[in-house]
Parts: sequence; C-alpha cells; structure tokens
Amino acid sequence: MTQYLYPRTPEEAVAALVEAQGRAIIIAGGTDVLPDMEKGKWRPDRLVDITRIPELGQVEAGGGWVTVGAAVPFAALREHPLIAERVHALADAAASVGARAIQTGATWAGNLVQAMPAADGAVIAVALDAEARILDASGAAWQRVADLYLGPGRSKIDPTGQLLTHIRFPLPSEAWGTAWRRAGRRPSLILPTLNCAATVALREDRIAAATIAMGPVGPCPVRAGDAELFLRGQLPSPEVMAEAAQLALCQAQPRSSALRASREYRMAVLPVLVREALTEAAQRAGCPPQS
Amino acid sequence: MRINFIVNGGSVEIDADPARPLLDVLRVDLSLTGTKQGCDHEGECGACTVLLDGQPVRSCLTPVGKAQGRRVETVEGLAGPDGLHPLQSAFIETGAVQCGYCTPGMLMAAKGLLDRTPAPTHEQVVDALDGNLCRCTGYKKIAEAVDLAARRLRGETAEISRGGEPVGGSELRSDSTPKVTGAAKYVEDMTMPDMLVGRVLRSPHHHARILSLDTQKARGLPGVVAVLTADDVPGALYFEDYSLEEPVLPQVGETVRMVGAPVALVVAETREAAYAALDAIEVGYEPLPHTFDTDEALATGAPRIAGNGNVLTRFELKRGDLTAAFDRADAIVEGEYRLAFLEHSALEREALLGYYDEAGRLTVVGGCHEPFYQQGYIAECLGLPREQVRVIMPPTGGSFGGKQDPWPFLATALMTRHVAAAGHTGTAVMLAYSRQESFAATPKRHPYVVRNRIGATRDGALTAIRVRIDANTGAYDSHGQYIPEYAVTASGGPYRWDAVDAYAQTVYTNGPKAGQYRGFGTAQACFATECALDELCEKLGADPLEFRLRSALREGEASFLGYPVAESLGFAEVLEALRPAYEAMLERSRESRAGHIGRGVGLAAMWYRFGKSGSLRVEAHAELARDGHFIIYCTAADYGQGTNTTMAQMAAEALSIGRERIEVVNADTARAPDSGIQGASRATYFVGGAVTAAARNLAIETLGMAAELLDRAPQTLRFEDERVTAPDGVSIALAEVAAEFDRVGKSRRVRGAFDLSGQFPEATRPTYAPLFVTGAHLAEVEVDLRTGETRVLRMAAAHDVGRAVNRRDAEGQIEGAVLMGVGAALMEEVLPGHTTGFADYYLPTIKSMPQIEVFLVEKAGRYGPMGVKGLGEAAMLPATPAIINAVSRAIGPAGGRRIRTAPATPERILRAVRGEAL
Ligand code: FES
Ligand code: FES
Repeated sequence: MTQYLYPRTPEEAVAALVEAQGRAIIIAGGTDVLPDMEKGKWRPDRLVDITRIPELGQVEAGGGWVTVGAAVPFAALREHPLIAERVHALADAAASVGARAIQTGATWAGNLVQAMPAADGAVIAVALDAEARILDASGAAWQRVADLYLGPGRSKIDPTGQLLTHIRFPLPSEAWGTAWRRAGRRPSLILPTLNCAATVALREDRIAAATIAMGPVGPCPVRAGDAELFLRGQLPSPEVMAEAAQLALCQAQPRSSALRASREYRMAVLPVLVREALTEAAQRAGCPPQS
Repeated sequence: MRINFIVNGGSVEIDADPARPLLDVLRVDLSLTGTKQGCDHEGECGACTVLLDGQPVRSCLTPVGKAQGRRVETVEGLAGPDGLHPLQSAFIETGAVQCGYCTPGMLMAAKGLLDRTPAPTHEQVVDALDGNLCRCTGYKKIAEAVDLAARRLRGETAEISRGGEPVGGSELRSDSTPKVTGAAKYVEDMTMPDMLVGRVLRSPHHHARILSLDTQKARGLPGVVAVLTADDVPGALYFEDYSLEEPVLPQVGETVRMVGAPVALVVAETREAAYAALDAIEVGYEPLPHTFDTDEALATGAPRIAGNGNVLTRFELKRGDLTAAFDRADAIVEGEYRLAFLEHSALEREALLGYYDEAGRLTVVGGCHEPFYQQGYIAECLGLPREQVRVIMPPTGGSFGGKQDPWPFLATALMTRHVAAAGHTGTAVMLAYSRQESFAATPKRHPYVVRNRIGATRDGALTAIRVRIDANTGAYDSHGQYIPEYAVTASGGPYRWDAVDAYAQTVYTNGPKAGQYRGFGTAQACFATECALDELCEKLGADPLEFRLRSALREGEASFLGYPVAESLGFAEVLEALRPAYEAMLERSRESRAGHIGRGVGLAAMWYRFGKSGSLRVEAHAELARDGHFIIYCTAADYGQGTNTTMAQMAAEALSIGRERIEVVNADTARAPDSGIQGASRATYFVGGAVTAAARNLAIETLGMAAELLDRAPQTLRFEDERVTAPDGVSIALAEVAAEFDRVGKSRRVRGAFDLSGQFPEATRPTYAPLFVTGAHLAEVEVDLRTGETRVLRMAAAHDVGRAVNRRDAEGQIEGAVLMGVGAALMEEVLPGHTTGFADYYLPTIKSMPQIEVFLVEKAGRYGPMGVKGLGEAAMLPATPAIINAVSRAIGPAGGRRIRTAPATPERILRAVRGEAL
C-alpha cells in the first residue's frame, strides 16, 4: 500500500523524499502522476502531497518579480487578478490546459517537471524567462526554466529527490505586454498542434525587448532568439512582426505526427501564430493597433 | 491507510490505498455508482467529475489520499430532503438528459460553477462544461438547463414551455429522474455476489495467422476460472446473416485480420488474475501483409484478406439512358470523395453481465438494439433452445449503432456458461470493455471512397448521376454485406434523375471492422452526392436551395429506384422551412468578410429509408395490472434516445389517460414480445404502431368489462385516474375491473399489431419497404484562411417527422446528430494503428457547439401511428455535407479548392485554401 504524506513545509517534503531513497515522489494535482503510475512510469511507495503547504499556495508580487507557489493550480492562476490583468499570456496558457476540472488540480510546477515539449505551462514559462526554485537535500537554488530540459518528457528535476517550490518571473513595470496563441484539431481538451507565447516591452514606441517561445517545434520549448534580437530597437510595424515571425520559423524544427499535423502544416501555421502573438503583445504594451 | 472525508455531508472512513483514484473508491468502496468512468481514467471525458471542497475535479485523476479531511460532493448528494436540486429538475425539464451517462459529471461541473458564480455568462457556462463530453444531446439543452437552474437559484421564476397533451408536446422523459440522481444502474454499476471478471485476449497484429494457441499455463494460474478458445464453443462459430467469415473465436490455422480481433476469453476472480491469465496465454502468430486502404486491397497482388478478391458484396442499379442524359447536361461535375473510419463513442463503453436467472435461464444484461436477435445468436452459439436464453436491456449509455454487434453478447454468454458448467461458485460474469478496447474492437463507420459524376441543365434540372462506391468494411463483415444497397439508395437522394448508374461494393481491409453506425452507410453516400450538387450549383451559378427545389421529388412521383415513396413526402416543405434561416445566413456572411477570415453558407439535403427489411408486422402487448395500472410490453430498445418515454406517451394517448398510469416493460426477452428487427429509426413507427394498437384493444376490453359491471354502454365510459366513469357519475375502480377479468378467467393482457404487409405485399414490394423521410441542414462557418481552423457558427436543421411525438426529444435527437455531424466534418477520424482512445479521437466538446435551430416539419404520415415517421438516424446525414459545403464556399473566394475529404482537419482545409491536393 502506498504511503500518502502531507508535509507542512517544503523542507519536510524533501526530507520525506530523501528518507524513501527514490521510492517516493512529489504529487501536486496528481493529474499527470496518476496516469503515469498507471502506465508504470513511476512505481512509488510514497506520495508526498505538497498542496497543503501554505507557502506553496501563494501568488505574490514584489521586487520586480511575480512568484508562484508550486501548489497553485492553473484555475487559481488564470483567475488571479494580477495574472489576469497583467500577464494575459500566462492566464490564457493556464486556461488552455485540459479543461476546468483538470485546471483545478493541475499545477504550473507539475507541468514543468513533466517536461513535455508542447506543455502550455512550459512554453509560457520559457517566454517569461521564468526561473524555478529547486529544493533538495543540499539546499535551494534558482534555475532558469529553459535550462531544466534534458529532452522530451525528461526534466533535470527529479521528483523523487527534489521539489520545485516556486516559479518566478520578472514583471517589468510598464509598457509591457504578453500574448498567447495555440492551434489544435479542436478548440480545447487537446494537446496543441502548436503553441506560442510572446512578450514585448516598449520604450518610446520602439521594442526594447521581446521574447518568443514556441512548442512543439523541438525536443523542448524553443526560444526564437534570432527573432528576438532582430526585434530589439525596431518599431512594432506589421512588416517587422512578419519578418520576426519568419525568423522564428527558421529556429523551429517541428515533426510530423499522424494524429495531429504534418511538419509542413506546422511550418505554415507557426509564423501566423508568432506574428499574431507579437502584435497582440505589443498592443498590450501600449502600441496602438495597426493593420 | 485510513482516510477520513466527508461525502455528501456525511463523514466516511475507509481503509484504502491512498493512490487509488477517488473515482474507484466512490464507485467500489462506497457504492456511489452515480459517478461514471468513460475514458480509462485518462481525464479525457469528464464523466467522473465531482466536487472536492467545492471545486470540480476529475475523480479519475485524483488520488483518494487527496480527499483526506475534505469535502466530496457527488451526484448522489445533489437532491435534498425537499426533492431535486434545481439543476436536476432543469436538466429533466429542458431535455438535457438522453442516455444520461454524461449527466452526473455535467451536473457536478455545473454545480461547481453556480456555487461560485450565481449569474454566469454563456461563456462561463461553456468554460465550466468544456471537456465534459456528451455524445447524445449536442450540448445545447445542457447549456439551457444550467442557465435555467441559475435563474431559479437566483430566485427568478423561470419556466420553460411544456406541451400538455401526451403526444405532440414536450413531455418529460419518464426515466430521467434516476439518471439525474445517480440511481440509474447501468451495467457497470451492477454487482452480484461472487461476480467474476471476463476479459478478452486480442490480436496485436493487423493481419496474422494463428499458428498455435496454448492456454495450459494460463488455466493453471491462481484465481483463473476459465480460459476459452474456439474449441470451447459448443454450438455455431459463425453467424452468416450477421457477419460472413467472422468466427466468434478463431481456430488455430485461421487468420485474425485486425488489431483487436478476439483470440481467447478469460474468466477470473479478480482483474489482476484476469490480466495475468491474458499474459500467460501463448499464441504463435505468423504476421501477414496488411492494408487499410480499399484501392490497395483491390489492386492486383494485394494481400488476401477475405471474400472474393477482398470484395464482400456488390450492388448495382441502372435506370435510363446515361449517355443521353449526360449529353443533355450543360454542366457536369466529377469528383472523388473520401471519408474516414468513425467511432460511435457512446459515453458508456460495452459492458455486459451474464448470470443464470431464477428460472435457470442463461441471462445476459447489456445494451443492444435487438434483444431477440441477441437471444437467437446466443442460443445458436451455445447450442441451447431459445427459451433457455434471456437478454435484458438495462439503462444504456448510448449506442448510435455501436452496440448492435452480437460479439460481446456471445462472449459473455460463453463465459457464463463455462463458469457454471465448471461448477464454480461464482455465478455472474462481468465483461466491461476498456475505452481502448472499444476503439480497437467494436465496429466503426465505413470509410468510403466515392467517385461520382453528376450533370444538370442550364435551367437547373438534374439529368444524370453515375456513382462508384468502395465501402471499407475493415477486417470483418459485421453487416457490411448490406451496405452497398444502402449506399446506392442514399446516393440518388430525393431528386428526379433522367438516368442513374450506381454501383457500390464493400471491400475488406485490415482496418477495424466497420458495421452499424447512425445512418448505416447512407451518410457517406449522401455526403458525396450533396457536395457534388453544391459544386454543380457553383458551376451553374445556381442557388443551392432553388436548385434542389427544382429537382425535388414530389409526392407520388417514381424515384430513381423505380417506384414512388409510399409515405407522405415533405421534401419541398423541408427546403421551404429553411428559407428564412438561409437568407439570414447568406446576409450575415456577405456582411462580415474580413481579410484572413472566410465565411460561407452550405446547404445539404437527404432522404433516408427507415424501417429496414424485417417483417412488416410488429406486435406489442398491453395489460391491465391487478392494481389497476396499465403495462405495455414491447421491444424498442432504449439506449438513450427515449423510446421508453415515446411508447408510454403513445399508449397514454391511445388510452386517453395520464402517462403516470402506464408502466413500460421494454426489451426483456423473458417478459416482452419480440417486436422484430430494430434500428433504421423503426421504433416509433412500427413498435409505436403496435403499442398503440395494443393499448386500444386493451381499452376496448377493459371498458367492455367495466360496462358489464356498471351496466352502462361501453362507448359512454372513460378512464378517470384509477377508475372507469360513466357520464352520470357512476364509476368503478380499475382494480375491481381487473379482479373481474380474473374471476371470469379472461386474460388481462391483450395483443396489438402494426401490420403493413397488406399495404406492401411480399410478392410485389421491393426488398425494403419504400418508406422514406427527408431533411435538410444549413451551416454557416468561419474559416481562418491562414491556419485552416474552422468554426461552425450556426446550423439550421429541418426534418419531416410526420408528427413530433415528443417535440423536445425530437429536437434533442437532431441537435445531437448535428454535433456528430460537426465531428465527422471537421475532427473525427480513427487512424488504424494510431488512434487509441479519447485522447486522440477528437470529439466535439461544447466549445464546438454552433447555435442550432431546429424546424420540425409535420407532414402527417399515412400509415404510422398518429402520423409519425422515423427520425433518429436521418438527422445525421445532412449535417456533414452542409458544413463541408460551407467550408468550400468560405475558402472559394480566396482561390481555395473544393473540399472532398472528411474530416476536413485544419491541415486539409489549409491545403485546399492553397490549392494543393488533400
Ligand atoms: S473517467 Fe475521468 S475523465 Fe473520463
Ligand atoms: S446524454 Fe450525454 S452522453 Fe448521452
């Protein structure tokens, strides 16, 4: 019989993992853990449930950062006033995960540890330059989310020995906007054919900085670095956005899947999504709409 | 581990592995079977939604450890001491409950919403219900129900219109209450003492020969009760009228022709033991070359699968001078249309329970269409007399044709019999498919390749149609043998043609076996014809509505089949009913054409032959019960479409009494008469006719008896509540009348028959009685020309139903079919070798629901009871071509090609936009 623990602090959670020597894993919402156990990916003796650790259930802003606890479910995230009003792409990405009755359990942190290349939570995290706080027996450290990937479905975080306690991302003070786009074979309850997130910061009508993250166009979420570099200092005109989208495309290596879409389709649609996301992000940053 | 939590207000303490899904603990440990499981615990269906501390969660993905110290609410806790929760009554009143399998999950998702958002917007309702799949209703009435309940909960007095009379209004379903409280027992909710687990060993190969089959090791495992192979089948192995060349179980040396083909059966004491036994059966396979494609299967050098050169059956029809008719045409279109394998996806998977009843009959309880056919097949397979076999239809969570396959019944019966023969103490066997199994092994809709050529004159008169159809029956026949005739009949539609040359054949491949599916082979043929007609309209610059009216078959006129439709024909009325909606749609789509968005309106029509080929005489019984209520005995299987209610309504009208006085005993071979073949939307017309006749006969008998007792003339008497009353106020209790029947030794049970064999004598009629209904749908769509993503904004559906027995049910049937049409048009596709379940078979969720308007055209029928005609399946036909025509018209102005493949996925649509081949 599995043991089920409710630690009261993150440290207690890690101690419970360490004690079990690889036979315990962290569980938050459980929406991935349970199917994974059924498939035999995990066969834990002990589940360490972190959803009753008060400090992991908070969304906080301060010092230019937004910090999200590992136990915050997507439903709470998308409805949090700060996220819903200032970080649209994150709210929309959270709303893209499964369905509401899944979002009430599933967490952003869990989505990252799961490390799927198309995970909505991962793509938005990478676009936001998010960092994850990893706690283990040797202590805690912040790491860039983008650096946590070893490959599709493989994260550097080991849920049998480590706990992702928080995710944080910088929140620029003003003239900053984000947007989210997603394509799929039906409007919801589906893994995306493509997803992408963009952020744009403006200074005196020009793009001061932009980020673009895309999935599934590689083994892990892909940042469109060339496009981001190109955008710096540009006026956010439709032509510029279109060119940035083409540059983003050059960094995408999507694959064909019989059940979702071909590589060609993904290549055709990706620039559309990137351009729309960029344009909308720029508008939210304060750039007047241009056609 | 001990886990304490509150369930529906009461605290419970259980001892369970905390990693077990909350769903299983609720259903098994706490016997709260109202919460359903529909997708192998994958989180893909929403049937298991419950509230945890007020938040909706998927209980299949929630380990029960999470419930520790928290509050769980399930459907069983919704109703209070004062009666139903407003959501429950609203679901019943709006007709949001059909098969009821999605209902508990929907109710809980809705409650989660209303508890925190008392006045939700439509978008919030959609967001809350999104991801809870419903295959029956099309979601419209569910959304209406939530809105109605919200208004009432806010203290508003909100009513919905309801018909008063038994027939023709919108009577509430008689069996909805247990479905909204969670009390309804579907097969998987049933338990019996010492119930054993049945499982099936299935082939992992697309095509293979069985070289050896060794069950020795499996039989010896602990907890394993029986392992059965073809050698253990006491009676017939083949049922050729159902499926040629498909054995119940394969013998060594035979081939298995699809992934999922059954190889052996296992009965065990536990699930774990059953799985262990499956693993321990040793099968030697010789893999053979395979194909999923009919062109490949027909090519020279193709792998030999079955039939004659891989052809199962053929049908051909020629009429008129084709060459001359094409010569007369001013415009001709020619096309090749392709459709995919579809899965019914009833929310309840196949689940059957076998046992011996109190009279010693081998009994199988399971959702099906024709209990008496299943009874016959089982008897043959087991070598038993029919009377020793009983089939009972339980509440069933949807079928759409999927549950017509006798195989699960045969398997369950075999297992039950062997267990009993082995003298095992276990007396009952449950065979419950996983969703994955349901995808792999149950019949699908036939993919078609249709090559057609259609001509018309400049002034819009159709001249000729030539059509060639390859219907992919997959690995096995499973009724595919009857498909070609249906395909040809549907191809011509309700139109006047000077000449027709139609040929169809069913072709074996190694895809999943195809079989009965709403519309039975007609929807695919209708799709090709209606898309081609639309192309022809474009070519001629004709208006699609006027064009169809111009060639619409009129009453009394011989169709291309060579004879007229025998029933009243309301096709022109159907088209006219759509005109205002059509004009409004055209207007809107002209107004709003923005840069990268294409808008289009599509129309498609159809005819559908209802009633099948079976006997034209159908029987039902009516009884005056000892306590004075009335009982109707009939067989019109109710898998969610509402025949239980329809039959009660029709009997109530015939007896001029309230429906609450009537009990319906339906679809139990030991209690009800055989009402013949089912399907083909036959129930209301044929069985309803017999029920009406039986009820009338019973009224005559009962009033006659009462007349003697009261000493009044029988024609002056009438039923009033529990009594029979004369105009002067004298009355007698029906229970007393019943007692008088018994006293004089007269039967209280009478027969009634509906019989068209006089109208259509065997000697002169075609194989199938010429009974057709017609209908037409409109679709308004929006296509993103850059991504191919498409939204169906609005649909309008008009159907000639003769007479709507239950208006709300008729609408519900149509709305459900419309959404199925959306799925078939844009999303759904079983890809052999890839598709496994709901995670990769994309069913429409509520987010894909268009606005749906239904027009019921009531052109009274000639022969059916009270003027009704068949409806259920017909509604499936025009939705898909209407949507595809709309998409083609939306992308046409941007240079797009016509879409000729369904589903038109975003990728296929984008290719069409770019003028590439699909
Ligand atoms: S059973 Fe839980 S979502 Fe299907
Ligand atoms: S009523 Fe919703 S699935 Fe049948």
